[in-house]
Amino acid sequence: MYQSFLSWRFLTARRINWVGIIGVFVGVTALILILSIMSGFLDQQRRMVRGTLSHIVIEPSPLPHIDGEPLPKSAKPLLSAVLEDERVEAACAQLSWFALLIQGGRGSAYSASRLSDTTSAKLVGVQVVGVDISDEFRTTELRAALELPPEGMSFGHVPVDDPDNPFAAPPGEDSGGPWAWCIVGQQLAIVHGLHRGSEINLGTMVPDPMTGEVRQSNRKYLVAGTFRTGENESDLGRIYVDRAELHDFLATGRDYSQVLVKLHDYEADGEVIAKELSSTLAAKRLLRSADMNEVKTWEQYRRNILGAIENEKVLMAIMLSLVLVVAGFSVFAILTMMVAEKRRDIGILSALGGTRSGTLWIFLLIGFWDALLGATAGAVAGVLGATYIDPIERAISEFFGVQIFDRNVYLFDHIPAVVDPVSVAAIVLGAFICTLLFAAIPAWRASRLNPLEALRYE
Amino acid sequence: MSDSQILVAKDIRKSFQIGDREVGVLHGAHLSLNRGERLCMMGASGAGKSTFLHILGLLERPTEGEVLIDGQDGWSLGNTQRASLRNRTLGFVFQFYHLLPELNALENVVLPARIAASHGDSPLTLQEATARAKQSLEKFGLENRMDHRPSQLSGGEQQRVAIARALLLDPPVLIADEPTGNLDTATGGRVLELLLKEQEERGLSMILVTHDPRIAEACDRVMAMQDGQIQSDTGVEIPH
Repeated sequence: MYQSFLSWRFLTARRINWVGIIGVFVGVTALILILSIMSGFLDQQRRMVRGTLSHIVIEPSPLPHIDGEPLPKSAKPLLSAVLEDERVEAACAQLSWFALLIQGGRGSAYSASRLSDTTSAKLVGVQVVGVDISDEFRTTELRAALELPPEGMSFGHVPVDDPDNPFAAPPGEDSGGPWAWCIVGQQLAIVHGLHRGSEINLGTMVPDPMTGEVRQSNRKYLVAGTFRTGENESDLGRIYVDRAELHDFLATGRDYSQVLVKLHDYEADGEVIAKELSSTLAAKRLLRSADMNEVKTWEQYRRNILGAIENEKVLMAIMLSLVLVVAGFSVFAILTMMVAEKRRDIGILSALGGTRSGTLWIFLLIGFWDALLGATAGAVAGVLGATYIDPIERAISEFFGVQIFDRNVYLFDHIPAVVDPVSVAAIVLGAFICTLLFAAIPAWRASRLNPLEALRYE
Repeated sequence: MSDSQILVAKDIRKSFQIGDREVGVLHGAHLSLNRGERLCMMGASGAGKSTFLHILGLLERPTEGEVLIDGQDGWSLGNTQRASLRNRTLGFVFQFYHLLPELNALENVVLPARIAASHGDSPLTLQEATARAKQSLEKFGLENRMDHRPSQLSGGEQQRVAIARALLLDPPVLIADEPTGNLDTATGGRVLELLLKEQEERGLSMILVTHDPRIAEACDRVMAMQDGQIQSDTGVEIPH
């Protein structure tokens, strides 16, 4: 085909054509890189959010059944019923409440920063979560969160003496009273200078299950160590204690707030199982109703945060697509200029037997080469860049002497990037469509030219 | 149209719309070209020679009239068929050579064969076309210039490349529009000699547009154009 032969020659004869190719290259590379990193963040975020939860969250309604009979006060029947399902791998009950973290006595003197303090009007609110540690370890990622964090993330880590039994008093440590041990988020410990043996006061208000009156309550705990889930909200504002201990402290009617469920294969049919569990448990009168969203998958439970990141990713993709439009415009501008320059040559081709459609194809193919070269090189650079983003960032940071990605701020020990082949293919296809659409306009104009004008009046 | 005639133009009229005015350029021009005939077309600038030539070469549609090439009415065909007919039957040599600057001499000569291949009726494969093009260029004394771009060639060399290109597919009709008009006398003379020799050897029919009466002397017939009409034709045969 003379069209492909000539289009390639026209393309390579002029350096200005590299502008179009580079435009497509930059657009495709940037899109792949940024979407891969956004996907990586999303993936990490999902992992972290899931880490503190599990696959399914059951939160029975605080209201009684319609006939007035209250839901069970103990988690046991609910846990037994859930574990009867063979698709369930493990389940654990959690009792969760808020508390004010107030300066304790012993050990708190070492703290550089005061906790909730009237002199500075500073309040430190935390979520206190009561867990059955062995069930918790089987169901969530808490056991892993007690391990030494990866390099660069370990600042402030206070190891518990026995990770398998974190609420046990460390050997040689005297609690100095009947106080229980707790584990606190690593960020919380860093911010408030907590370390092993630090004494903290948890102050809270609890509605009396019988009278409904709110009463104040407080209890001292000792810090046994820290955990790090990677989820900022948890690491900065959560304290784990033994569930029985917390129930005793709060003296609430129900000894649990929620039950977390881990499935053998969540990815396959997590949502279906959640729905079925809802029906089964409601039928057993362990939930108020099958229609009250008392059983949710973790993704439904954290829909807001996941949806926000997903939206951010989509918006970023749309905005970055403008880069491709700009690249398309550069191809359009260069081809328009070339068509004007090539008017005489189009006339020559007509004289030699070329057709209008032949002319159209020559200029359309120049757009095709722009897209092929730019998008292929862009895809390779984007995929390689996303794969090696971490060493690349470190090298650039080192070279310029500035830290581009602050691993402490992001709570990640590396820049996460997930290269999705479908996304890469979609970006390359988008680059082709965009470039060809922009090339089609000057190509069509070239085919409508009266080339004889140039031949006649030269 | 008799068998001896390769190209016949009947009552060709052409007018252009300039603003609100319609300006007539050709007012019923006739032409017949016999096989192997060398026809010289003369006339002052603005006489309508180039327009007539473009209409004969199926490059510009006449307002009225028909152009028969080997018995086929070129302007009754669709765009693609007309382009194919032009490719197979007409060879063009222009005053300004009109070579593609991105291609070297050899590639410029082979171009008609590539275009013919796109029509699906190429008489030559690309290899055959390249071999034939090399042969022509060697014959025209350009064996050392084959991979040179037009910008690296002299005017005479460029015109010889353009002649080789026009002759590649052995078209029965050659249309030369002032082929020496942009060359100095000596070079122009050599180019003309080459053109006439090839025309004679190959038995082609040729329409040669020129202002030079000495060139006209070398032609079988001379046709003079004035104000869009044929004013004189030595031995003209009016088609019926």
